[in-house]
Amino acid sequence: MGYEVRIGDRLASVKLIKRDGQYATIEVDGQQYDIDIAMVENGVYSILHNGRSFNIEIIPGDGPKNYFVNSYVNSHEVEIIDAQSRYMMSRKSADDHSADKIISTPMPGRVVKIPVTEGEPVAKGATVITISAMKMESEYKSPIDGVIKKIHVAEGDNINANQPLIEIE
Amino acid sequence: MIKKVLIANRGEIAVRVIRSCREMGILSVAVYSDSDRRAKHVRYADEAYHIGPSPSRESYLNGDKIIETALKCGADAIHPGYGFLSENAEFARKCLAAGLIFIGPDPNAITTMGDKITARQTMIAAGVPVVPGTQQKVVDADAVRKIVSEIGLPIIIKASAGGGGKGMRLVRKESDLISALKMAQSEALSSFGDDTVYIEKYVEHPHHIEFQILADKFGNTVHLFERECSIQRRHQKMIEETPSPFITPELRQQMGEAAVKAAQAVEYFGAGTIEFLVDANRNFYFLEMNTRLQVEHPITERVTGIDLVKEQIRIASNQPLSFKQEEVFQHGHAIECRVSAEDPFNGFMPSPGLIRHISEPNGLGIRTDGYVYEGYEIPIYYDPMITKLISWGRTREEAITRMKRALYEYKITGVKTSIRFLERIMDNADFRNGIYNTHFIDEHMDELMSEAPRGGQIFEDMAVIATYFDYITKMEKVAMSDFTVTQSCDNWKTYGLKKNLQRI
Repeated sequence: MGYEVRIGDRLASVKLIKRDGQYATIEVDGQQYDIDIAMVENGVYSILHNGRSFNIEIIPGDGPKNYFVNSYVNSHEVEIIDAQSRYMMSRKSADDHSADKIISTPMPGRVVKIPVTEGEPVAKGATVITISAMKMESEYKSPIDGVIKKIHVAEGDNINANQPLIEIE
Repeated sequence: MIKKVLIANRGEIAVRVIRSCREMGILSVAVYSDSDRRAKHVRYADEAYHIGPSPSRESYLNGDKIIETALKCGADAIHPGYGFLSENAEFARKCLAAGLIFIGPDPNAITTMGDKITARQTMIAAGVPVVPGTQQKVVDADAVRKIVSEIGLPIIIKASAGGGGKGMRLVRKESDLISALKMAQSEALSSFGDDTVYIEKYVEHPHHIEFQILADKFGNTVHLFERECSIQRRHQKMIEETPSPFITPELRQQMGEAAVKAAQAVEYFGAGTIEFLVDANRNFYFLEMNTRLQVEHPITERVTGIDLVKEQIRIASNQPLSFKQEEVFQHGHAIECRVSAEDPFNGFMPSPGLIRHISEPNGLGIRTDGYVYEGYEIPIYYDPMITKLISWGRTREEAITRMKRALYEYKITGVKTSIRFLERIMDNADFRNGIYNTHFIDEHMDELMSEAPRGGQIFEDMAVIATYFDYITKMEKVAMSDFTVTQSCDNWKTYGLKKNLQRI
């Protein structure tokens, strides 16, 4: 069973060579690792490799194949790329040109500032709306170079989670 | 002595206050909003009462409801914690009028210190240095120009009723002066309903250093040394330490004396904090007074050994301080890291949600003040801070390495937290050398955000392996469950099936 795994900017190919309970041989980009792997706590793996001990925490991300992974020295955004997500990816990039981007927030809050107006061109990475939630102000940025198509809310409005706020095309 | 305290707060500070009540044999009463029924302070207190819907305005800020609850349950005192109603003079007055003890200063002290211009005037009269600037409110452009000609640029225009960076404008160029004044006034009016502003010289590369004071109702005022709070992001403190690596013993003594004078100037009693700005040449200026317990109070407790909440309760019970200034010492070094449910690598976006797993650090010199537990869902209505980690060491270096070790041990899964970001600060060379001011995070942002691989490829490969392993295990489980005919939760059915199997 082989997959590609995206970790930060790197795309690594991973393959299970053999497995016997907690003992496994896994190949990452051609490098074979004989490991002893155990899920010791919910979301925490202990890996022993040549006597070295690695403690890896796995936090589920936004999707079923997205993870936020912590090792002793670093933290990574990790995504499993299987046939389905490869298909989705190819469709997405084809759709990208036609589809509108809709900005929304994962939690309820209040609109602090909208520095853009409808019809205004925006660059990728430009702030399009500032939301205050949990006593913090967060800036949401445009994911694409585009034009503000529609603004659904006004400054000072209270908003619900996942409510469409701004459409960019 | 107070016998029963209602804690008009939530989160870690409510738990913190209840701990001291327990040790003193005082009954504790928690209050909670709709979304806090399962919160730790409710579980931990002796009594708990519902006070309203989730938004703070309708629950933790509803002073009348809280006072009514206190009277009904027979509490004799209210501890406001920090935030919410803790610096609300009106609420303090209402408590007193209802015959309840407000665990905090006299309402007049809150009022005086709450208005920035009045506080400045009071400090100048008491001989405490303040940042050069105006003593009166400024209204028109001419007055502003006159002041600028006296103190020079850059200046900062601030709202008298302000706080949290609102209604504040920094002016570096003469030509920006008038527009900045107008903007500060309109922002002050819309945020605080009062367009009164004043002007201060802008202190470049300042340190934010505060002094903890304790005063009883018999005129005894002591300070419990400083806390260096310069590691901030957007005026929000992230890391505090004591002693400050920046100030000298002489400066410490001068600032301590000034802090005591500042508190005495408003006949202060209770626990309070005098915040100072210290410039690069070690000149210090009064910034403001916080008339309550601070978030970062544990580091002072750790180096002095004094329980600040207990002292607050004793002072409120009309007892004199049990120690003198010369009996207070700083022993070793303490650091606090504030851990928030937020994603530091994605614009510090708040990350509320379900705590799937938590394991807390332990061992010599470590304290955690938190309130979340496994299976707890962090509500979206309140502050994202979920826990504070406090480390102590005999030296600053030991405190830092211990903090790093403890941050590594701290495992919280389910929500994103600032732990990784805090670890990187502990690793930063300038932080380790104690060379930093309030611009630290801005100046080091690129470095703190960089995904520079550390520890070599093998750590990254192991992260890939663990993720891959987790994924294929999940897929196997899904595949297995496809073969199960019925997924029944009925224990009797399962029992019946097993019985049948045994018969075969």
